[in-house]
Amino acid sequence: MLGYRLQKRDEPWNWGVPIVIVGALVLSFGISALLLELQGKSAVQGLLVLWQGSFGASWALEDALLKSIPIFLCALGVATAFRMQVWNIGAEGQFALGAIGATWAALTFPDLPGIVLMPLMFICAAIFGAFWAYIPAILRLKLQVNEIISTLMLNYIAILLLEYLVFGAWKDPASFGFPVTPEFTPGAIIGQIGDSRLHWGFAVCVGSGIAMWAFMRFTRLGFEIKVAGEGERIAMYSRLPYGMLTILVMAISGALAGWAGCIEASATINRLQPSIMVGYGYTAIVVAWLARLHPLYIGISAYLLAALRVGVENMQLELQTPASFGSIMEGLILMSVLAGQMFVTYKIVKKK
Amino acid sequence: MSQTDFTRPECQKATGFEGCAPLISLKGITKRFGKVVANNDISLDLYPGRIKALLGENGAGKSTLMSMLAGRFRPDEGYIEVDGKRVDFSNSKDAIKAGVGMVYQHFMLVDTMTVAQNVLLGQEGGFFVNPKEMEERVRKLAEDYELEIDPSAKVSTLSMGEKQRVEILKLLYRESRVLIFDEPTAVLTPREAFRLFEALWAMTRQGKSVVFISHKLEEVMAIADEVAILRRGNIDAEVSRDKITSKADLACRMVGKEVILEVDKEDVEIGDKVLEVKDMTGIGLRDINLEVRKGEVVAIVGVAGNGQQELVEGVCGMRKPPKDKIFIMGKPWRKFFAEMTWNNSMSYIPEDRLDLATARNLDLVDNLLLSTRQGFSAGPLLQHDKAAKVAEELVEEYDVRPGRIRALAWQLSGGNLQKMVLARELYRQPHLIVAEQPTQGLDISATEEVWNRLLEARKMAGVLLVTGDLGEALQLADRVAVMYCGQIMDEFSVNDKEKVDSIGLLMAGVRE
Amino acid sequence: MLESFIVPLLAATVQSGTPILYATLGEILTEKGGVLNLGVEGMMSMAAFAAFFVTMTTGNPWFGFIAGGIAGVFMAALHGLVCITCLGNQVVSGLALTILGVGLCNFLGTPYIGTATEGFDKFSFPVLSAIPYIGDIFFRQDALVYVSYLIPVLFMFFINRTSLGLAITAVGEKPAAAAAVGLKAVRLRWIALLGGGFLIGLGGSYLSLAYTHLWANGLSGGRGWIAVALVIFAFWRPGRAVFGAYLFGGVMAFQLRLQAVGTHIPSSLLLMLPYSLTILVLIFSAMRGRSGNAPAHLGINIEPEG
Repeated sequence: MLGYRLQKRDEPWNWGVPIVIVGALVLSFGISALLLELQGKSAVQGLLVLWQGSFGASWALEDALLKSIPIFLCALGVATAFRMQVWNIGAEGQFALGAIGATWAALTFPDLPGIVLMPLMFICAAIFGAFWAYIPAILRLKLQVNEIISTLMLNYIAILLLEYLVFGAWKDPASFGFPVTPEFTPGAIIGQIGDSRLHWGFAVCVGSGIAMWAFMRFTRLGFEIKVAGEGERIAMYSRLPYGMLTILVMAISGALAGWAGCIEASATINRLQPSIMVGYGYTAIVVAWLARLHPLYIGISAYLLAALRVGVENMQLELQTPASFGSIMEGLILMSVLAGQMFVTYKIVKKK
Repeated sequence: MSQTDFTRPECQKATGFEGCAPLISLKGITKRFGKVVANNDISLDLYPGRIKALLGENGAGKSTLMSMLAGRFRPDEGYIEVDGKRVDFSNSKDAIKAGVGMVYQHFMLVDTMTVAQNVLLGQEGGFFVNPKEMEERVRKLAEDYELEIDPSAKVSTLSMGEKQRVEILKLLYRESRVLIFDEPTAVLTPREAFRLFEALWAMTRQGKSVVFISHKLEEVMAIADEVAILRRGNIDAEVSRDKITSKADLACRMVGKEVILEVDKEDVEIGDKVLEVKDMTGIGLRDINLEVRKGEVVAIVGVAGNGQQELVEGVCGMRKPPKDKIFIMGKPWRKFFAEMTWNNSMSYIPEDRLDLATARNLDLVDNLLLSTRQGFSAGPLLQHDKAAKVAEELVEEYDVRPGRIRALAWQLSGGNLQKMVLARELYRQPHLIVAEQPTQGLDISATEEVWNRLLEARKMAGVLLVTGDLGEALQLADRVAVMYCGQIMDEFSVNDKEKVDSIGLLMAGVRE
Repeated sequence: MLESFIVPLLAATVQSGTPILYATLGEILTEKGGVLNLGVEGMMSMAAFAAFFVTMTTGNPWFGFIAGGIAGVFMAALHGLVCITCLGNQVVSGLALTILGVGLCNFLGTPYIGTATEGFDKFSFPVLSAIPYIGDIFFRQDALVYVSYLIPVLFMFFINRTSLGLAITAVGEKPAAAAAVGLKAVRLRWIALLGGGFLIGLGGSYLSLAYTHLWANGLSGGRGWIAVALVIFAFWRPGRAVFGAYLFGGVMAFQLRLQAVGTHIPSSLLLMLPYSLTILVLIFSAMRGRSGNAPAHLGINIEPEG
């Protein structure tokens, strides 16, 4: 390669990680700015608006925090599966199923008090989400069906299923034909924390984050998941219940994404409608990989990418840039981080 | 091995090349991997019509040196001369052009392709290819050198010996003048090995230069014209075959001390049956009967790929054997593995140290926990601190270097990794130990340590040793079983002189 | 029934199967070389836009068709940069490429939604279209369909009968073996990846130039993912890829027809058909137990030596 070649480092360059991430961010912003210029918009103004929308005002910070809740939960699940090298791309579909499960509970038992209904919704959401993740898990175990494709296809199917329900059986008779369910009863809506716009779903995030961290760090099952991620043969040598672990991580993954769907339906839009699907499940993959699958870093990167989404919405309003600007940035960031990780394990030396 | 006389017959001598200039000279080659010096200032001349044996322990740097000659690595210092002119190989292609070809220990063949496609790969001589015509070319070449092969066969269907012939054809087709063979007999039966030697002699008669890498003394004695001994990356000695008086002489030169490795084997009381295989047929094996008792070492020998792996995997629970054929510590297989505890049970020391016995990206504590985690559990929790303490002790006791318990498995050398695996598996106080090629790739001191530990372990366990190294089997075992084509050909005590002498034939499937 | 429903349905099958066919063959070529590219969906989207845009500006759909292929090459190059050069994880990089490609396509395409352009129109192929039924199904199509008939044959010839094809197969199976005989493993991977990218791009072109002549966002609609799945179904063989692509074309055409006729089945359930079929097809391939046909080194990066 032009007189240079790669050489494996004796010790991984741990300080390289933050440098690579910052570098990736700079590169991605640079390319995105160029795209704005191409569309005849001022790149400087665009990035300014993006910054304003992401971090420039208290409403922006609050918005980002709200958006980071579902992203965090999905990413936490995705990371658990990724750690075992089970490529669960299906957070989006599991999110949809979670929302469906919670909505089913909310619509079926509207008169239950919140203290009963709310746990019921969470349980339903977890079961529905976990079930949606169980399908590809069992297919992979029994038939070696590639889980990347099956989870992805289940995403499409889940979204269509959600549409089928809100266009059909669950449609609000009073909605003038709009595809929405009736609004949830107060017992089915997650309340605000104090006077802020932040709701108690945030506490669910913190709780699950800490629980997952402790689970992976201190328990034997957590250790076994870590080992299983090192390869199926090592798992077999260590007499790990590989199949059970696969199902477990997929179920955890699905349940967490399901909770995200439940919180989103209950706290954010107070009903089910197709617009609930905004691609949090895919953003979660970017978040998990940026955070190198570590729960604490997932918190940080979930917030950053949520902020990016809020900023892009701001750009949409002020500069009429399409919403897909956000996906471009997500894709760019992820690709440049992947490429940059080379520098953590390799160094570039001159050819002799 | 005395069953076959390998000595080069007079008619096989290559004549007419005396006094020729070297085809290839290595000049002061040095190669480092990180901090490890694999080759240190090595100079070597290769002459036409001669077989040069490169002798040395595993890890002495033989393969590295030859990989540089074949253009896979580039030397850090020094250079290579071809026909007296300095050359600089930047990849395999350059080396091939200069007439250097190598048969790697692990064959470099594409399994899904045919013999002809493999031989002509990269040398098709045109953009469009015609399978029929390719097969014809390869058939003709094979006939010229009397190498029996079907050019249209898929490589995946070939035996090891046939695969090696494909590798040789690759070199011959490229008209290589220097042919390097890296441990070529490791996968061959003695009979196949002899056919290989004949092919090598045929090549030298045509003026080719052959480099024969090995650590098997008798083979080197048999076919080499000159011997270069490599030790710890240095050329220790270069002698003509005529100057070597005996195998012992050669061994002495190789190891640098008078005696070859030998261990004291004290008698241990023989106890209960810990492993019993009864008339097992299935998973690629036929009529296997085997017994291992506490206090003894039973060695399985044979050419690689004759069912040893299937047997080990069946015994160790990596694949499912037929029902009620394997009994471990008196329990049927299914029951044993269902009730298996982390200690006082069975240990498996696989050939594949990295990626099977250890996880390369985990540190030594986590790697210790791999098979002992049940012992460090408190309810659902895992006692990492306690494990770290034990890891510390084991690293100390077994002298695993570098002495850090937070080192990752891939950062350890083969010998140290093996010591760690051994430490872990013996810590489990097993009653049955299955050890697969336990000293492959280890230097002498590590080999000695592993041998002593295994013999020591007889006090608590029976050992099933699977090895391709006959010397190792005879050193350690009480009884030897020879495997061929998924069967046990014969089983006998190591003291049965006559039987021991017939091992070579048994390995080739010949029963007298 | 036959004349009025089956034959038109089969003709529509060929048409909707064609973009999938291009993409599947592209992905087979990519994977033959050992690179797993999950970015097909994003690549097809970008290619569809490039093809539309170039056709709109030049007025010549053939330029657009090729432009789509080139867009595919550029997208594949991004994947190569991350995975081949920088040794990044192939699965994640492919996903990122999809996110990026779909986003970029929507970003650039939004201003043109609903814009019509030149494209490829159906015409009767001389002589062959006169064959009863067969002619109606296969030879009253657009030019790109006729091109697509040639590609599987050329592809098979390329893989089995050319030195480059053999070399690419070798690199996908065992890069070390290829390197040992002096082949440049990394360069061959690039060739397979970029060549595959070109074919995938052509599939994208088909969507905006022949399938519709009207720009809309989300034209690809999961076809890229179906193509990835079909590679497994096809056991990496072009002949079976043709079968698989038309199978999916058939389901899509059938589903559209049912919607058009106006059945009582809700459209969301009909739209699920191709996605559910993908999973079924994977299950079917798994039961045939041929996933072992995958190139042995698929998805594993070539690490630099010494």
